[in-house]
Amino acid sequence: MDDETFLLLLLSDSNLPTGSFVASSGFESYIKHGFGGDQNNRTTIFMRDSISAYARSALAFVSDTHRIVQDVRRDVEQGSEQKSDLDSYLQKIKEVDELYDAMTLNDVTKRASKSQGVALLTLYSKGLTPPLAFTGVKNRKETEIEVNSYMTSLVSQYKSLVRAESAPGHLPICWGILTGALGLTSERSQYLHIFLHARSLLSASVRLNEIGPYNAQQTLLHISRSVIEAEVVRCKDLRTGIPSSTGTESDQPDGVDDKSRGPANTWPLGEILAARHDLQHSRIFNS
Amino acid sequence: MPGSSTSISKIQAGGGRITLSSHGGKAWISEFSATYPLKLLSPRLSDNTVAIVYVLTYGGGLVGGDCIELTVNVESDTKLLLLSQGSTKVFKDRPQQRLASVQRSDYASRSTPGQAPATLQIMNFTVSSQAALFLLPDPVTCFRSASYSQIQTFRASKDATLVILDWITSGRKSLGEDWVLSRYYSVNEVLIAGKRVAKDVMLLENNEFNSDSRLNRSLAEKLSPFACYATVILRGPLVEETIAQLTTRYGGISIMQRKAPEDLLWSLSSIGSDKENGVVVRVAGKETEMVKDWLKNTLRSLEQHIGVDVYRRAFV
Repeated sequence: MDDETFLLLLLSDSNLPTGSFVASSGFESYIKHGFGGDQNNRTTIFMRDSISAYARSALAFVSDTHRIVQDVRRDVEQGSEQKSDLDSYLQKIKEVDELYDAMTLNDVTKRASKSQGVALLTLYSKGLTPPLAFTGVKNRKETEIEVNSYMTSLVSQYKSLVRAESAPGHLPICWGILTGALGLTSERSQYLHIFLHARSLLSASVRLNEIGPYNAQQTLLHISRSVIEAEVVRCKDLRTGIPSSTGTESDQPDGVDDKSRGPANTWPLGEILAARHDLQHSRIFNS
Repeated sequence: MPGSSTSISKIQAGGGRITLSSHGGKAWISEFSATYPLKLLSPRLSDNTVAIVYVLTYGGGLVGGDCIELTVNVESDTKLLLLSQGSTKVFKDRPQQRLASVQRSDYASRSTPGQAPATLQIMNFTVSSQAALFLLPDPVTCFRSASYSQIQTFRASKDATLVILDWITSGRKSLGEDWVLSRYYSVNEVLIAGKRVAKDVMLLENNEFNSDSRLNRSLAEKLSPFACYATVILRGPLVEETIAQLTTRYGGISIMQRKAPEDLLWSLSSIGSDKENGVVVRVAGKETEMVKDWLKNTLRSLEQHIGVDVYRRAFV
């Protein structure tokens, strides 16, 4: 089994401590406010709209952050002098992070995003780096060891920025950092992120007594899949518009020519309901 | 920055400039120009500290290929209220181009072959120290197959006040239009003292889902049952009271399980983590009138800053 497949299996584990267990992505509020019609279709309808909206608003941030981390990896592997300037990479990530914060004008979503984001950084530091006493696989290349060392440093320094409230630490950015540090490809990183969003939603649906556990698996396998595919394909080339470290200006999404290349909110109803989550008299989820 | 510009800036078709300056405690419009199809009107007011400008288009609507670009400067100690007269209607296209005597902007000359050119409206606002901008237009209505983009950038000083309303309705009810526009893209970007604090990007599109039509969700289905969606950005000294009222109201709402959606829903969120950055209010209503009334009542405390008579002109 190759490295990447093993990583995917590990990251898909529902026991992974990511803090997504307490998030319903606005579904609880949606139901409480009387949306979606009767229970039969509610989950599918919500899932469809939610995945579409989330992919459009977040995927560009995942891929742009991932690209920055890949640049660090490339610099280390090539022995370039830039590699020692981790600070400039951290600043680039922070810029992407702050743009997501400025574009996500929703207190509940931001709260959930930040708590899950920092959980992912902690997961990397405490759960996915080689243990201290570990002597390592004998054949491991020196560059690989060096890359891992830079990645560990990058993640821990970014986490410090977040803890010091110097950077927001949002979920899509932290997912980009995590998957970039682990060496996952961008395509896999994007796909898995949306898959986990869908899976988390279905899990919330079961706990809200909307669908049963078997029905949830059925939905995930036979219905969610095409939605996830379509939305990832639709959004995989979106960019945030912040120039990458390669020095080439990415397309400006708001340029007169190019208004379809950037992140956007495509479901204002979902936005309002997610923001109103805390107004529920009683609730079992945090968001 | 000096009051009036010493050189008259070159403007293209659909271009416009407004500068509101202060002199001896009175506000006066030191720059005021517009080219077809943009039209600006400014009525005389009894109150000398505030000015009103109506932003209009000839024909009462925009068509594919139109490009409006407006630059607004609200200088220190002045207050500007920007209004429209009736909903901005966006039509898909028309058989002939608009005739304009002024050179068409770059944008309009460039269009994707085979596609009806989209409509674009760009507004750049600078709001200086102790100044206030109240952008309270009527909602945009995109008719069937219309494609419209709007990019609004606000550069404000730390102690400037901004009230930015951006809203859209579902179409002509008489023709049964229910969110049948092709594309609506709106950006509101706010920079305070040079730093970006908010960038609200809304994209509404009717597009086809390739593989499974069963999962195809039209815009009407996604936005149902509401016919009007509004976003209001509020920040600055003159709206502190409004924000406090909203926060109290919002905190008092308690939702129990409902069988069906309410007629009007609204949400409140803060911008950034600094209180100085203001709030975003989002409203959705089954009818535009409901949203209008809600906005009119919610923003009523603006009367103490611009006067009852001036406020009355908004939300007519």
